[in-house]
Amino acid sequence: MLDAVVIAAAKEEGGGSFLVQPDLGLMVWTLLVFAISGYLLKKYAFPQIAEALDKRQRVIEDSLETAAKTRTEAETLLEEYRERLAAAREQAEAILARSRKAAETSEKETLAEAKERREELLAQTKREIEAETRRAIQDIRNEVADLTILATEKITRKTLTEADQRKLVEETLAELDFSSLAGEGSKN
Amino acid sequence: MSKRAKIFTGLGVYIAGLVLLVAVAGSGGKNEEYQPQNEFKLDVWVDLPGPFDINKAVLYVVIAAVITVWAMVYIARRMQDKPNRVQTLVESVFNLMRDNITRNNMDASMAAKWFPFIATLFLFIWISNLIGYIPFPTNTEHPISVFGLEIPSLAIYAATANLSVPLVLSIVVFIAFTYEGVRAKGPLGYLKGLVPKGVTGGMAVFIFFLELFSNLLRLISLSVRLFANILAGHLIILFMAGGIAVLLGIAAIGWLTLPLGVILFVFEVGLVATLQAFIFATLASIYFGGAVAHDH
Repeated sequence: MLDAVVIAAAKEEGGGSFLVQPDLGLMVWTLLVFAISGYLLKKYAFPQIAEALDKRQRVIEDSLETAAKTRTEAETLLEEYRERLAAAREQAEAILARSRKAAETSEKETLAEAKERREELLAQTKREIEAETRRAIQDIRNEVADLTILATEKITRKTLTEADQRKLVEETLAELDFSSLAGEGSKN
Repeated sequence: MSKRAKIFTGLGVYIAGLVLLVAVAGSGGKNEEYQPQNEFKLDVWVDLPGPFDINKAVLYVVIAAVITVWAMVYIARRMQDKPNRVQTLVESVFNLMRDNITRNNMDASMAAKWFPFIATLFLFIWISNLIGYIPFPTNTEHPISVFGLEIPSLAIYAATANLSVPLVLSIVVFIAFTYEGVRAKGPLGYLKGLVPKGVTGGMAVFIFFLELFSNLLRLISLSVRLFANILAGHLIILFMAGGIAVLLGIAAIGWLTLPLGVILFVFEVGLVATLQAFIFATLASIYFGGAVAHDH
């Protein structure tokens, strides 16, 4: 069949028949050269190129995977930090509120305490003054009694018994009103 | 100068050159001696016993093989993680051969087994086609005499522009895919597989012979497609670059056709050389896939 085509072509072309005439020698040469090339390429070129390409593909896939993983991790971390930050803020606010409250309480307490203390002091002072006043009145009373006894002795030249006389003066003095004196004393 | 002015100036120079050449050179009469097809004639260079003479085509086959193997091995030994331009090109070609041409057309185990073969086919034909457009001093029919030394004139030739080279590759492809088909289905099964399922009786016999014939015709279609494309490309470049002018003896025609020659040259180098190699390898791959496929 091929020969028929070749012969037909050869008849038509005349001088150009060699263009379509298969040349056995050239075919054998081609086959030989092709086989050797194929062998060399199969042995020394294709596996190395394929390996390099596969390796790169693996690297790319790994990188993509790692990148995705890192991203997820980063997002998780970010979320965690965000949560932590929110918690910390909440905590800070709570602490602030608590301390404000504590400060207020302590202020109030201090005020109350101071007030109490002041009142106590006042009361004590008052008590001391009253006591002082009472003692002063007592002193005056005693003085007055002694003076009265002395005066009475000088006037009467008569001596009552010490006890009678004191009793008498005491009675008299009891009738006297020292309240105004006490009142003045307490005012001072 | 504006773009329009440039275009008009170019056209003006082109036409003026044409007129000038017609006026100066005129017509030298038809050239009966010049045989353009002889550009593709294989003169015997080294006479060896039998048909195994070394000629231009053998040289081109060897050059193509050496460039292919050297380039691929050179790159393969220097594969880097961050590829440079050449490595990127080789990788792209490798991926094209592996993924598009081979894996797309056959199953994984077949692809792994036959990838080196298909890839070698593609590379060998591709480089053969490409170096076919580089002018080498290979035209021994029209030598140039330089100080008494006969130097072959520069010519473009491609091993694939000779029927023998694509034909032998097609024969190898044919034998290989038939072998795979027979291995997968058994001799009878393979022949039966030529007939589509559901066809019976006399029609099946007819279809069987038709398919058998078309199968054999693959040898012709595969080889002639490549050979004729490359031969036609070379011939038309040859004619446009001056062949017609020489044949008709009118120098001005050469001036007229030269730009077309340049355009066709770029077209052949840029598209046809690669496309034909791709088609050859892809069809071979499809034949492999078809030979072992159970559904016709």
